[in-house]
Amino acid sequence: TKEEKKDDGVMAEEEPCMFWIWAMASTIFRLFLIFFFPENINASSRPELSTPLTSLRRLAEGYWLKQSSLSPYAGSMYHGSPLLLSILGPLTIQRIEGKSSHHLCSLVFVIADILSALLLRATGQKLQKAYRLNLRRLGLLTSLQDRGILPCGDIAALVHLWNPFTILSCVGLSTSPIENLAVIQLLEKVFLSILDENPAFGRVPLAAFGLVMATHLSLYSATLAIPLIFLLGYGLDAPPVKKFLQTRHVGVETTGSTSDVSKQDKLTQTTQLFLWRTVLYFVFWVLVWSSYVLVLCSLSLKQYGGLEEMFKRTYGFILRIEDLSPNIGVFWYFFAEVFDFSRNYLLIVFNLYILLTGIPPLAFRLKHRPCFLAFAYLAFSSILKSYPSVGDAALYLSLWALFVNELTDMEHSFFIFCGYIGFSLLSPVMHNIWIWRGTGNANFYFGNAMGYACFQYMFVEKSVNAMLNHDQALKKATSEMTKN
Amino acid sequence: MKILLILGLLLCYSFVSSSGDTTIHTNNWAVLVCTSRFWFNYRHMANTLSLYRTVKRLGIPDERIILMLADDMACNARNEYPAQVFNNENHKLNLYGDNVEVDYRGYEVTVENFLRVLTGRHENAVPRSKRLLSDEGSHILLYMTGHGGDEFLKFQDAEELQSHDLADAVKQMKEKRRFKELMIMVDTCQAATLFNQLQSPGVLAIGSSLKGENSYSHHLDSDIGVSVVDRFTYYTLAFFERLNIYDNASLNSLFRSYDPRLLMSTAYYRTDLYQPHLVEVPVTNFFGSVMETIHTNSAYKAFSSKISNSKSNPEMPLNQLSEHDANIPNDELKNEKQKCPYSQMRADLHKKLEKLENVDTVVNLSIAVMVVVVMVSSSLLR
Repeated sequence: TKEEKKDDGVMAEEEPCMFWIWAMASTIFRLFLIFFFPENINASSRPELSTPLTSLRRLAEGYWLKQSSLSPYAGSMYHGSPLLLSILGPLTIQRIEGKSSHHLCSLVFVIADILSALLLRATGQKLQKAYRLNLRRLGLLTSLQDRGILPCGDIAALVHLWNPFTILSCVGLSTSPIENLAVIQLLEKVFLSILDENPAFGRVPLAAFGLVMATHLSLYSATLAIPLIFLLGYGLDAPPVKKFLQTRHVGVETTGSTSDVSKQDKLTQTTQLFLWRTVLYFVFWVLVWSSYVLVLCSLSLKQYGGLEEMFKRTYGFILRIEDLSPNIGVFWYFFAEVFDFSRNYLLIVFNLYILLTGIPPLAFRLKHRPCFLAFAYLAFSSILKSYPSVGDAALYLSLWALFVNELTDMEHSFFIFCGYIGFSLLSPVMHNIWIWRGTGNANFYFGNAMGYACFQYMFVEKSVNAMLNHDQALKKATSEMTKN
Repeated sequence: MKILLILGLLLCYSFVSSSGDTTIHTNNWAVLVCTSRFWFNYRHMANTLSLYRTVKRLGIPDERIILMLADDMACNARNEYPAQVFNNENHKLNLYGDNVEVDYRGYEVTVENFLRVLTGRHENAVPRSKRLLSDEGSHILLYMTGHGGDEFLKFQDAEELQSHDLADAVKQMKEKRRFKELMIMVDTCQAATLFNQLQSPGVLAIGSSLKGENSYSHHLDSDIGVSVVDRFTYYTLAFFERLNIYDNASLNSLFRSYDPRLLMSTAYYRTDLYQPHLVEVPVTNFFGSVMETIHTNSAYKAFSSKISNSKSNPEMPLNQLSEHDANIPNDELKNEKQKCPYSQMRADLHKKLEKLENVDTVVNLSIAVMVVVVMVSSSLLR
């Protein structure tokens, strides 16, 4: 273990310098874009960046409505949380020396991005340690110098900072950075204690808080409850170990020291049980935090219809897909151009599609890897969301980078990468052709959106395949070792 | 409980269906009729136009004024001042200015049209500007001037309106609830006889002369060549020219201002059908349009919650009895609900929350507290 720490120390010394340099560079780049090119980019009017849920202009409008003693949801402009309104609202009004008014908010988003990057780094470091530890427990890492393992924390953080999607959604005046921050801090809080042996009850309230805030800001983060429950229920150590313990159990007594045996016995005992107590404690804390948040929301909205109005205008708006302005999703076209007469049926189908075809199969397949399951859920829901934007893509791409160690063998990654770049660049072109020049029509833009969704789906599929292949390979390797 | 509801509703209906004391005064109308034509009756048109001007000045808009004139003075070939009508020899005031809206002119001023205006029984094609669209909250001023006699009024030298006809029309108006209060002012010879037959409650009538007396013109304008105003109207206008829209002069002071020696006739008014005391009734109830505004604290706080918090609760005017009666059954229901302690607690909580002036600061503070707690606990647990 001492040598492990030395190795970690050696590697850790070189990396942070480069990491911090790159992080500072990306911050400077964002500030440069915010202060020097706000009009040229004109990012806030792009449908790919600002959706009815995340647009900062709508938030400013909602805040102004609230200041004029009207309901912030009047006129179907603002559809977000009233708490976000009271935090970001005053910032949209204050100006810096005559410049355009949203610079302060852009600074807030830059800070949110930096925080997300730091949290990703911490999460990645823990994941990396857990991965190394598990491989060592499985006996697959014989050499003490495990240079093959990439520092996924740094990579994920840098991917997050330098991803053009995150930069654009930060500069483009959408509240996606804050939503992403909420999700990332949720993951970080839970996975903080990956290495702890004791089920740390202190983690559970924080995890519950994270889940409540993430769901409050964007509805589809509620799907993250399932990986959280898996993580809490199966114990807070990294789950890949569990699957292989049964095959390993037989061969333990022949190899390894006594300390290894006792450790593995302990492992077999704890991970077979699903810790219902922790899960119930978690549910209790979720209820506590959600009631606190709901009381605050009802306080701030008590003159304007209260909680019912809030639910109708935020979650109801998301589920009923009331706004049909084009975005990079696939639903607006169905309702605006084709199937308005069967709207109710299609609404049910679209909403159930995520619930039935997305969540349960992935849960069955990946229940031993809750962190990756979270990534899969986020990616899946960002394809089939009511109002997707590139901010969602930014989030799941950063989370994907946390798993570079396991996903190195992803198939067709270059093809998918090119597809992403191509469709993201074509999207504003098609939008321009359709809306501004009039030489194209909605089919152009929708075709682009469909291609983008197709590539997103391929991405998720290939990642999941790669992860499952990786687990298969591990299983094969351990069974070979036991034979030996 | 249902029986109480039904009884309460019956009480309401009984209150409402009684005389118009329970309705509130919501609008003012004026019907100004000049029943003469021909050049030598210049003063009658000047009378009517002066009163039109006064009534407009004090607040009644054109859409609430029905002006019936023969309208043959201003552009008469004998008028030395074309398109101008004066009511004084000093020619200071041109009554026929830019914005005179005559609703019935020339040969349309007939007894039939007059009665149709009063009773509201028009043909379908009659436009709204020619209709008296009053309702049960209206105060109507009816001013008539021209040549009259014992219980009649001459219309356009061809017809006459009898006092019975007028009383009949007023009775119809009362049945159809077309007015809350009606003031009839007549400036003709033997004017007081015209409202001998009136019996409807809520009518106040004043005439410029008694039976057997003539009403005289005030002065002759040697430039125009005819008398330009009648005495009664002249002194009425003298009273009103001193007023503006905010003054509180009462009808009593108006009626007391008529001096029989100056008028050379007795201005007789009849108040037996009119319940309110003349001392308490402001002239603007009929001659102007000054409405009582009721403040309510409803949704709009007008950009600043600090200003509106100092407003007190609205006071109910005295004549909102009908609404108060309608509230009785509802209050009983509320009382029964409040017996449940849970809802009472909730009601108390709501009252307390309503007293909180700055909900936003509370919300912001709680968010800040939440974030701080979370950050502290997460740093402690590292």
